[in-house]
Amino acid sequence: MTTVQDLPQIKGVKNIPISEGYTSGHRTCQGCESALVMRLMIKAAGQRTIVVGSTGCMYVANTTYYSTPWVVPWMHTQLGSSGSAATGTAAGLASMMRKGKMHKEPINVIAFCGDGGGADMGLAAISAALQHDEYNLLILMYDNESYANTDIQASGSTPYGANTTFSPPGKETRIMNKRWKKNTAPMLAVGHPDVKFVATANGSYGLDFNNKIRRALTIGGPTFIHSIDPCPKGWDYDPKFSHELGMLIVETGLWVQYEIIEGELTLNGPSRAIARGIRKRKPVEEYLMRQGRFAHFTKEDIKIFQDRVDESWEKWWLPGVIPVTMGQD
Amino acid sequence: MTTTATNELFQTEKEELISGSEAIALACALADVDVITAYPIRPYDTVMQYVSKLKADGSFDCDFIVAESEHSQFEIVKHASSVGARTFTGSSGVGWFYAFEAITVTAGLRLPVVAMVGNRALDDPGAFGVEHNDALAVRDLGWMLYWVATAQEALDIALLAWRVAEDPTVFLPFAVSCDGSFLTHSQAIVNVPTSEQVNKFLPPYDRGKLQLHPDNPITIAPQVNEDWLMEMRRQSDEAMHRSVGVIKKAYEEFKEIFGRGDPSPFVEEYMTEDADIIIVGMGTLALPVRVAVRRFQEAGRKIGFVRVKFFRPFPTEELQEILTKCKAVCVVDRDYSYGAPSYGGVLFTELRSALYPMEKRPLMLNFIAGLGGREVHVNDVNDMVDIVQKAIETGIIEQEATWIGVRDN
Amino acid sequence: MSTVAVEVVYRGIFQRTLARNIVRSIVFAARKEGKIGTAFGRYGDSPERNGIPAKQFAVVADDAEELEEVLARYEPTEVDVTINVDDTMCKGIESWAWYGLQPINQLTKPNGTLIVTSRQDADSLVEDIHQKDTPFDLSIIKSTVSFSGLWVYKDDHTDARILGTLCNVCPQLFSIDSMLQALDEQGNGETKLASAQKAYDVATIRTVEPGEGNSEVPYKFELLGWQTMEEGLVIRAQGKGGGFRGGDEGFQPDRNEVFKKYSTRSMRPVINFETCIKCTLCWLQCPDTCFDITPDGLYDANMESCCGCGVCEAVCPVPDCVTMVSEADFNDNSSQWEAWQEDKPSYQQWMTALVDKQKAETRTHGFHHVGGYTEEIAASEDA
Repeated sequence: MTTVQDLPQIKGVKNIPISEGYTSGHRTCQGCESALVMRLMIKAAGQRTIVVGSTGCMYVANTTYYSTPWVVPWMHTQLGSSGSAATGTAAGLASMMRKGKMHKEPINVIAFCGDGGGADMGLAAISAALQHDEYNLLILMYDNESYANTDIQASGSTPYGANTTFSPPGKETRIMNKRWKKNTAPMLAVGHPDVKFVATANGSYGLDFNNKIRRALTIGGPTFIHSIDPCPKGWDYDPKFSHELGMLIVETGLWVQYEIIEGELTLNGPSRAIARGIRKRKPVEEYLMRQGRFAHFTKEDIKIFQDRVDESWEKWWLPGVIPVTMGQD
Repeated sequence: MTTTATNELFQTEKEELISGSEAIALACALADVDVITAYPIRPYDTVMQYVSKLKADGSFDCDFIVAESEHSQFEIVKHASSVGARTFTGSSGVGWFYAFEAITVTAGLRLPVVAMVGNRALDDPGAFGVEHNDALAVRDLGWMLYWVATAQEALDIALLAWRVAEDPTVFLPFAVSCDGSFLTHSQAIVNVPTSEQVNKFLPPYDRGKLQLHPDNPITIAPQVNEDWLMEMRRQSDEAMHRSVGVIKKAYEEFKEIFGRGDPSPFVEEYMTEDADIIIVGMGTLALPVRVAVRRFQEAGRKIGFVRVKFFRPFPTEELQEILTKCKAVCVVDRDYSYGAPSYGGVLFTELRSALYPMEKRPLMLNFIAGLGGREVHVNDVNDMVDIVQKAIETGIIEQEATWIGVRDN
Repeated sequence: MSTVAVEVVYRGIFQRTLARNIVRSIVFAARKEGKIGTAFGRYGDSPERNGIPAKQFAVVADDAEELEEVLARYEPTEVDVTINVDDTMCKGIESWAWYGLQPINQLTKPNGTLIVTSRQDADSLVEDIHQKDTPFDLSIIKSTVSFSGLWVYKDDHTDARILGTLCNVCPQLFSIDSMLQALDEQGNGETKLASAQKAYDVATIRTVEPGEGNSEVPYKFELLGWQTMEEGLVIRAQGKGGGFRGGDEGFQPDRNEVFKKYSTRSMRPVINFETCIKCTLCWLQCPDTCFDITPDGLYDANMESCCGCGVCEAVCPVPDCVTMVSEADFNDNSSQWEAWQEDKPSYQQWMTALVDKQKAETRTHGFHHVGGYTEEIAASEDA
């Protein structure tokens, strides 16, 4: 196994690196939280990093020939290939360094994918990548809860009932997307016991985000981060609220911030306070009613949402994380 | 910083009794390939079984990755190639098709991945025997495509593949096509060269200014609109044009260093001098056809054979020169293309297109044979030649494409 | 032969439904007079991005053959009427799919008309609009710029007002009666029809003479050919950046030379450097890496890369330290920090005036909460 870079945990926002690996030239929406996530990701990782990005907004809107926002080396990979791309890049580097064909140094390898590329199409390849513990790599799934680049179609990560171009509320059927959001990070953590780091993250908590990236890149082996990214276009809200919605999704308990370091789970930020009973969860209605994609919701729909969130905190074996309850005997 | 290792396994030249798959596995070790990805599907996967054993025995230092699908297999080597690693992978039949997205982008990205195709019929129904349709599917994408006929040729052409693919003026992927079973599973005597010879022939892969590395910060494959894509396609077209000269030069050097090879890297001619009828085919079909041709010649009939080795780049000029000298061409396709012009096979259609501008055009007949691994016998070849002979004599082609060796009842 | 082409230049997503309503209604109204037409969005603008300028077209012809002549192209080479539904795009637009700054009136025919929804007066708009060699008419619809989002449409009758105005300024298209009939058949209520009629009645034009207006030469980009483009689908990365304005202190990232994105902006932040507590949040949370770090540790929003999302305003913990104000009040992208350094009292005065003005306006960027649009429409009717 190649060595890792010295990327210590950052203490306080004022110590977040000023260097940028992702700058202007991208053509994302105003207030694009995923663009922010790209920027934070590379801030934490630094310049000796290779980034591979699978198809999605962060491909098409970011890099449009002949311009690029990337300062670090960046390459496109296919929609379902973030796992393979990370493995291939890391393997190429590892092999050449071991055999003396390339100067030996720890180079961060990060592959990112959206929820469509990750939780849907790319799941098998991500799972495979997480089994190759001889390679140091990070797979970052930026989840804006739809196939946002292709014009907001429902993915396995789209919340129940949300309006998308594949699940529009209609005269006969109000709720077209009846699927509950896929619980991706725990699925990967539980399914790959040798993986040393799996976390959820959120661009609204910038310092926490930076430190999770650093932890993922320095702990050794393959790692996975699932980031929730408010999408002003698909969620339909004034772009200036990206940050606020990122916080609301945590404060309502709908999204749980945590990291699993070598099998040990720690809740972070507001999620931690909620779990300890220090902080009360805000009603999910406050979050839902701020977005046009839920504008067709009735009181019953909101209740379904609230009940599911309550259940995840009150009944799950690992509150908010693992949807398993203890049997009665 | 690049060095090519000298492998202890290959200190001296030696003979081995090995299959085409094993020959290619040895070529991987000789070429000091860095990253290899495997996924099981018959018949190509024999090569990966040999590679993994070489690695396990400490005879070959590579990153051997067992992928979870063919798609990942090809994606992994594609990305390893982008950072400058020499790569090898392969597949067969529908496995090759499962990887098709990755196969397509590898060519678009101009990454010199070398892949073995163990030719296999496409499902459904599941069938393990040879058909050429799997490999032929990449013919429009920017892959160089070569059909080998013997285990020796498999080893030799694998080495040539990296040499040509990794040439900075080419940078295109290379598929080495091997007929399933006949090559992948039959053993023959193969001369295995030394590391020293190979190192002399095959320089290290240098991705240069296109290498994805923090010392060379670039963005690869940004999305494009109609303002740009045609220019990119044109670049790939030009690279394929350039590959012709690179192949010729490399093949000459190959013959000099290893002391074997045909006059042309693109086609193999067999008794074509003054031939009235020339049979054209690809791959291991050469064996029964050569036998048949010898018997015809012994009987005083002027029948010759041309084996098309490179399907991409297509040897247009060579074939134009050879085939315009004969009266009739008998094209044997181990593939099908339902609904194609005259319901002919892929090779036939291409060849007829290549000969169209010629002033003196021979009669052309097509035979679909040996599908699904069915053997093409000497008798089958005789039947084809009879039909062609009749056409020459009557001046009438009753049917341009004929299925041979199929039960018509 | 008579073909009339109309383009609607709009803010991606925010005004997509608005633009669509306009171009479709044009075709429906033309049908009322036996003409034929088509309505389409420019394919290259898809998938649209919030705020990034995009275009939709309506082409109306006497018969199908005439229509075909125009449809042989992606984008008509010229249009009779350009409708600009956000006045801040008068400064020119950079679409997300193409390079270079396109003047708002680039496709407007000689003696054609540019319709703009705006609260600004004509002189102020002409200042922004690039000069042309030929005259064109400017018609202003006095109204607050209408923004909604992808799913929920804010029906403030902007579409009807534009269509009414269009009937007045481009009578060869169709009569107001045909338009009202078309609107009625599409299920629009009485009040909306009344809005169209009223706009028709009050529409005025002001001719913009050749050479009048913004003299800036818009940024152009020359496309490379296959022999000069790098092979392997490769382009060079952005530079690492360095000290503020090339100095040793602070930090200024390298910025993309070929795509600026600032024509996406309809609002921009103004910063009160004197109340800034250097908390870093505006800088840290900006998705567009738009803040330069000054030698004194302040954050200067660089207008070459700011697209006006407003996140900096939303995250700033100090009241009125970062305020989003209308882009219409600016004619350049100069540095606020440099202006402040040069003359602090004047800067404070200028900034305070802008902030106060913004508080009086209600310029928003789409959906705030369920029921919000109804409140906004009611508030604007009161005003």
